[in-house]
Amino acid sequence: MTLEESIRHFALTAPDRVAAVCSQERISYQDLWKSIEDKASRLRSSGLQHGRPYVFRATQDIGFLIEYCAVHHAGAIAVPLGHSETESNMQTIREEVESLSFEDNISDILYTTGTTGKSKGVMLSETALVTCSENFICDMQYTADLCYIISGPLNHIASLFKIHPILSIGGTVCILDGLKDMNSFYEVLSLPFSKFATFLVPASIRMLLQFSSDRLHSYAGVIDFIETGAAPISRADMKQLSETLPHSRLYNTYGGTEIGAVCTYNFNDGRYLEGCVGHPMKHSAIEITPEGGIIVSGPTVMSGYVGDEDSTRQILRDGRIYTSDLGYVDSEGMLHITGRQGNVINVGGFKVNPEDVERAALSHPSVAECVCVPAEHPVLGTVLKLVVVLREGCTLDRHSIAAHIGTLLESHKIPVYYESVASLQRTYNGKLDRQYYQKKTLTLH
Amino acid sequence: MKQHIRSILEDALPAVDFDSDFLFSELDSLGVVTIIMILSDEYHIRIDSQDVTPRNFRTLDSIVSLVESKLKENA
Repeated sequence: MTLEESIRHFALTAPDRVAAVCSQERISYQDLWKSIEDKASRLRSSGLQHGRPYVFRATQDIGFLIEYCAVHHAGAIAVPLGHSETESNMQTIREEVESLSFEDNISDILYTTGTTGKSKGVMLSETALVTCSENFICDMQYTADLCYIISGPLNHIASLFKIHPILSIGGTVCILDGLKDMNSFYEVLSLPFSKFATFLVPASIRMLLQFSSDRLHSYAGVIDFIETGAAPISRADMKQLSETLPHSRLYNTYGGTEIGAVCTYNFNDGRYLEGCVGHPMKHSAIEITPEGGIIVSGPTVMSGYVGDEDSTRQILRDGRIYTSDLGYVDSEGMLHITGRQGNVINVGGFKVNPEDVERAALSHPSVAECVCVPAEHPVLGTVLKLVVVLREGCTLDRHSIAAHIGTLLESHKIPVYYESVASLQRTYNGKLDRQYYQKKTLTLH
Repeated sequence: MKQHIRSILEDALPAVDFDSDFLFSELDSLGVVTIIMILSDEYHIRIDSQDVTPRNFRTLDSIVSLVESKLKENA
């Protein structure tokens, strides 16, 4: 059953049940379904056609839920972009997707910087969305009395793909605008629901443990489960979170936009296995290449990248996604992630492709050449460093470059450290020697 | 103290305008956490979740006041 069919089902069988909460606003299944039907009707009247893409902003509210489901209900393809996406980027993507035709079964196109540089539109079929939702429901035991708190951006898989299982099972979704106001997070845990669940990146878990472990512990009785992923979580944090929430299920999940939710491991098992992401979920399968690369197959994988057959062929062959992740399967059949191929830098749980940062920095008038590398900050952990060759007559103004990058990219992609050099080290074939700067930087800091 | 706090926060968050009167609304989660971590480490104070309010993070002056009140608690 699709998300929209489930909402319609609960609108008929449990009309007054709360489907969604956001700040002071709440909406029942009956009202949600009515709003979806109304919005779908308006979208059709405004010219949206079956099978055509619809680009819109993923606002962090109930309005997004209505719009997202209405696009599907109108038979169109949802293309949600970040709520702070610039109008010119929206227009570029709109022009890109509107110039193409799509297979009948495509439901969503999610734009991700992923791990391959340029922003790519990942096409997901209705089957991928439904089976990914079933993976969550079966392996994490979602139930109708659960309130699932979503604090991450709704155009990202880690948040968007939680709307499907929680509303498909008849539960309640609670939307928060980020976690910077931790008090709002705790206020939600005081709402009259019998149990709660949420997804938090490891950096957010660290933040809650560091600044509010006692307060988190006081809600141990109502936190059914917490899921993490997207970046490695340390054994110490797994152990501390398990001690803080001794009866909660605590999952480390392996997934991605191109592959869906694939494996998960409940680390509240006394072992706290670092790097372990558990067994494959209901609809997913994994294989390991002789070089240690992880291959994912099953109905949750993407249909391809929008308008980019070459990039699609590079990672999707015979229904299998050849990821850039490295790992192994242990004697219990559990997958362990050991690293990633390529240059991706992990900043507080966010994956950053250094080439995105370099492209943004190069559009600053003072930057002639640059390379972005990871550096260790004594308090913040891994941060970004930008090594810059300045244009003639320019001086290094880190605030100006940082502010400029901030107008183009998310805040976790803004380097903290800046260094001016006369020229950049290159490999024998002229490519930037990232390894050189990485080793040099990690030694210095 | 204000100048020192400005300096260490600007080092860690080079794109943030610490002269803003709407600092909290201009920060994201990562920015708030960065400020808490830097100040906790620098002044050996404990800033917890209840302190992270729009009022305490409205301006650089309000952040300085928060640090001063935490230091008084420690004294």
